[in-house]
Amino acid sequence: MSNIRKIHNQLQNKEISCLELIKNKLDLLKSNTHHTVNSLLDNTALALAKKVDAKIANGETIGLLEGIPFGIKDVYMVQGTYTTASSDLLKQYKSSYTATAIQKLLDAGAIPLVKENGDSFGHGSSSENTIFGAVKNAINPDLVAGGSSGGSAVNVAKEYTVFSIGGDTGGSIRQPAGYNNVYGLKPTYGRVSRFGILAYASSTDCVGPIAKSIEDIRIVLNTMSGKDVKDQTTYKSEEIAKEAILNANEIKTVGYFKNFIENKAIDAKVKADFLASIEKIKATGITVKELDFFESDTLVSTYYTLAMAETASNLSRLDGTNYGARIEGDNLKDTYAITRSENFSEETKRRIVGGNQVLSQGFSDEIYLKGLNLRDQISENFEKDFKEVDIILSPVTPNNPPKIGDSLKDPLAMYLSDAYTVGFSLGQLPTLTVPQGTATGLQITAAKNNDELVLKFANFLKDTI
Amino acid sequence: MSKIMTVDVLSSIKGAKESEAVSKLFEVIKSTNATTANNVNTNAVALNDLREDVVIHSPQAEKDIIIENFPREKNGYLVVAKVIEE
Repeated sequence: MSNIRKIHNQLQNKEISCLELIKNKLDLLKSNTHHTVNSLLDNTALALAKKVDAKIANGETIGLLEGIPFGIKDVYMVQGTYTTASSDLLKQYKSSYTATAIQKLLDAGAIPLVKENGDSFGHGSSSENTIFGAVKNAINPDLVAGGSSGGSAVNVAKEYTVFSIGGDTGGSIRQPAGYNNVYGLKPTYGRVSRFGILAYASSTDCVGPIAKSIEDIRIVLNTMSGKDVKDQTTYKSEEIAKEAILNANEIKTVGYFKNFIENKAIDAKVKADFLASIEKIKATGITVKELDFFESDTLVSTYYTLAMAETASNLSRLDGTNYGARIEGDNLKDTYAITRSENFSEETKRRIVGGNQVLSQGFSDEIYLKGLNLRDQISENFEKDFKEVDIILSPVTPNNPPKIGDSLKDPLAMYLSDAYTVGFSLGQLPTLTVPQGTATGLQITAAKNNDELVLKFANFLKDTI
Repeated sequence: MSKIMTVDVLSSIKGAKESEAVSKLFEVIKSTNATTANNVNTNAVALNDLREDVVIHSPQAEKDIIIENFPREKNGYLVVAKVIEE
């Protein structure tokens, strides 16, 4: 059942008032102990709710998203709000403009409630690398929420927001969605404008929705999609119709990566549950093919090498000159260095240093160019695979969520835990996490620009496993 | 100034050192074979679809927030460190 449609009907039929709805959600967010909130947008939200109520009282019809409360990962610009990236460096930074994807939701009448906690600058897979306190898992608060969009996934899972907008560079929507048993979509790269997101790795950064139903994902995706002159990697996409994703008869063949499953790193239960899901799919008459893919360490190393190079470049402007928490030194360079040393987290510094190593003379041929070549090989492999199969299915993570505190002790282990998500990012493919199949869900991937097929298969899986 | 720049200088981060975990990732890349793969991720915009090369002035509200974000101000001027130095 679509929560958006349910609330829309309740508002339109005057079963609830928008003000009452927004107040209730704000109270839940304020009193929550999962550390999901960086800042509340309460004044704006309450004012917008009153306008929606006035419209309904006036007998006017409201749009589907009008009055629907949502959350925004704290890496998106929303004019006049603090946009901290969960970092000390931008703790007092106020957005001067609004991100395109968010503006489209505002134009549709959705009401933003909260800027959500996550790993600082998207650097992490657990939402512990933040100045606002580690985000606690919605199901078991002793465990991490996943990351980097951890606060967004928990807010949706706990129904503090109806949907939230996360950001996914290497799995940052899909993995927390899996850890908190909700839906999370990384659309095809370029389907949704990146204008106004604090850039992490620009060649894989994607804007996407987290929600409790496939229909809600579809509604929000349609609203945010489209070509944007402010992000020249965007493309014009067709709206996905509600009816278009109800029937999955055209899906004849599903593939999965053999080496993801025949692997020492995967938890025995995750493996068994995944294979049981495959059997259920086979039982419907769909052909299932085992596919060859790159080893996990190659995928993770390629992704992190390129992402670190890009983030070192993207974050080089954060030096306290025009904005940010400047700490004065003896001279300009000293001011840069002290400001960055004191205000970036250890994980962010690790990635910036790694990125500058990758890009420096002597290293770039051996590592960066080779990384780019590997990325091309990975993308070509996907092109080949999608000539043989319609959908690729995979677990979201090899293991269950770790306990809070454990990931920070071992960065390499944290990087390797992203093994199942990063490949699809490098391929710029549409991938959806569904809260089914294994304890941390399943990922459904289709060929580039085929986000519709992903949603179709999700509907099919909902009724199948 | 030495032509060899260390990672702390390159990164503008005092005392920055190479990470063992990250070095392990690089070792994996070094040990793989490069092939003649084609770049299939072409995200470049077409030449006939470029943005117009014109100045678009931001609304005053946007300019005000940009100034508000500036770390230091003195007598109506925005304060930065001297640029010419060494």
